[in-house]
Amino acid sequence: MKDRLTPKNIIFALFVCFLPLLMYGIDAIALFLSHQDIYLGLPSGDYMLRIIVRAYLYMLLAIGLNIVCGFTGLLDLGYVGFYLIGGYTAGLLMARLGVSYWIALPLAVLNGALWGLLRGAPTLRLTGDYFAIVTFGFAELLFRIVKNEQWLIGGPNGLVRDIPPPAIFGMVFNQNWHNYYHILILLTLVVFIAYRLQHSRVGRAWVAIREDEQAAESMGIDVSRYKALAFAVSAAIGGLGGGFVAQFQVNISAPFFEFWESILILCMVVLGGMGSIRGAMIGAAILGSLGEVLRPGFIIPYQFGGSRYLIFGIILILLMRFRPGGLTLKKA
Amino acid sequence: MAQFLEQIINGLVLGGIYALIAVGYTMVYGIIQLINFAHGEIFMFGAYIALMLVTVFGIPFWVALPLSMVLCGMLGMLMDLVAYRPLRNAPRLSALITAIGMSLALQNLARMIWSARPRQFPAEVLPTIFLSQNAISLPGGASLPYRDVFIILLALILMVALNRLIYLTKIGKAMRACAQNPVAANLMGIKTNRVIAITFIIGSALGAVAGVMVGLREVVTPTMGYYKGVAAFAAAVLGGIGNITGAMLGGIIIGLAEVFGAGYISSGYRLAIAYIIMIAVIVIRPSGLFGRSTGHRA
Repeated sequence: MKDRLTPKNIIFALFVCFLPLLMYGIDAIALFLSHQDIYLGLPSGDYMLRIIVRAYLYMLLAIGLNIVCGFTGLLDLGYVGFYLIGGYTAGLLMARLGVSYWIALPLAVLNGALWGLLRGAPTLRLTGDYFAIVTFGFAELLFRIVKNEQWLIGGPNGLVRDIPPPAIFGMVFNQNWHNYYHILILLTLVVFIAYRLQHSRVGRAWVAIREDEQAAESMGIDVSRYKALAFAVSAAIGGLGGGFVAQFQVNISAPFFEFWESILILCMVVLGGMGSIRGAMIGAAILGSLGEVLRPGFIIPYQFGGSRYLIFGIILILLMRFRPGGLTLKKA
Repeated sequence: MAQFLEQIINGLVLGGIYALIAVGYTMVYGIIQLINFAHGEIFMFGAYIALMLVTVFGIPFWVALPLSMVLCGMLGMLMDLVAYRPLRNAPRLSALITAIGMSLALQNLARMIWSARPRQFPAEVLPTIFLSQNAISLPGGASLPYRDVFIILLALILMVALNRLIYLTKIGKAMRACAQNPVAANLMGIKTNRVIAITFIIGSALGAVAGVMVGLREVVTPTMGYYKGVAAFAAAVLGGIGNITGAMLGGIIIGLAEVFGAGYISSGYRLAIAYIIMIAVIVIRPSGLFGRSTGHRA
């Protein structure tokens, strides 16, 4: 990010900052047109804003997954597990114990990191397929636990209801544009951290491990320690996303954190190009919004509800076949 | 006592089904070191194809079963041809991601074609002997449906046949050679790609039989390939992935563990038991219970 305040960047920053206004502008135009008896069938600004918030959230998660998948080159099929941990940590603390969001969010991040380390400890020696399988099993187990343990979670199917919105001095942040700025700040923070890590000694060590673990070790890199660090950072970002989504969705339940969500995030990372922060963000922007557009009832008729994931599957196959490095990278 | 006996029967039936699926995972892994995530989906397609053949086309069950095997075998071969063969020399991560994409695509294709509604083989199209009331009474009040006897026997016969195929025939020898060293096998004049295609066909056909078996006892849904596939994969890992005999025994163990876990611990954790076993095996003893005895895996 060597570019400074060039006019292009200023315009872009202003655009991003005033996106909510633009979205509400659409509402105003639609309202005005409806007075003239013109109906364009525009989606409402609030709805659009929620899609954008969701896409930003996916960007955040994709950057987190990219740390393990892209930088250290281990296929993590259970990233949604940390998202789940963050979501339930924040959700339960806020809805059941009345803890403030500003305390619950860091706790969700910490809990995510803790579980990242716990999961990492037995898998440090595993590579490739076996690592992928263990991560998958881990996320599925967590999913089963929140689905079944009613004494812990409360509602059936892991439902936690009425998670209060964050507030400062009586100012309640529950509007969509609040959430927009909220996720924008979190995303900026995560991009900054990931970028600094990538361009530091740590990031270079990760890439060295990805390229050749034995060579890295013989060069004096403490492989176990750097891998554990990657797991912790990646999981912490997942926890952060979960903490945010808990207050964003108000009610969370187990189906939110199904295995396919992991695959969707993986798809984003692969689409953009593994190992690139910009790639992860582009992939998340494309698939995050494509997912909404392809939602049944919008373009695709309801009876073809599953076609969204069918398309994601085909994207994965075609990418690996013709462009294994993703959209942004020239070669694998 | 009756309940215990019935649980054992259920476990054995489920185990036989898992073993049939697990063989497909383990054979493919033995030769090309790929976890074929989409194998569970082939199994699901097997169930749906047989279901469609008997309900829509009115084909008798005894014809539909082998026909479904043939069609699934072709589907498996096609999958290898379009998705996996071009990536033979690519990094293993690429092939793994392709397999996940394939699984995702096939599962949702099935959802589009047949909808998510659970289906069953209607009672009138099945041979009457398969109806659940036709059962052998066992001492203690337990009952053993003929359907379950059929499943266990068929699974056993197919396993023995597969074993004979691998150890006694020429193609079996070629498969074992490819599993040991594909390059050397190629140099000896074995057409590796053809052997891999045949491996996919055999694995998929066995998976299709397992799918029909599940259809006889339970319901057929687009997600069954995913759930049962993971449990079967756990069986393959437990038996030592790449080891066919191990996969058969692993299937039985996972089946029994799942049924007893669901019966005596909690039915909500039915699948979790397979996951726990799988993780424990990978972390503690990655080579599985029976190891990877080189030269005997195929």
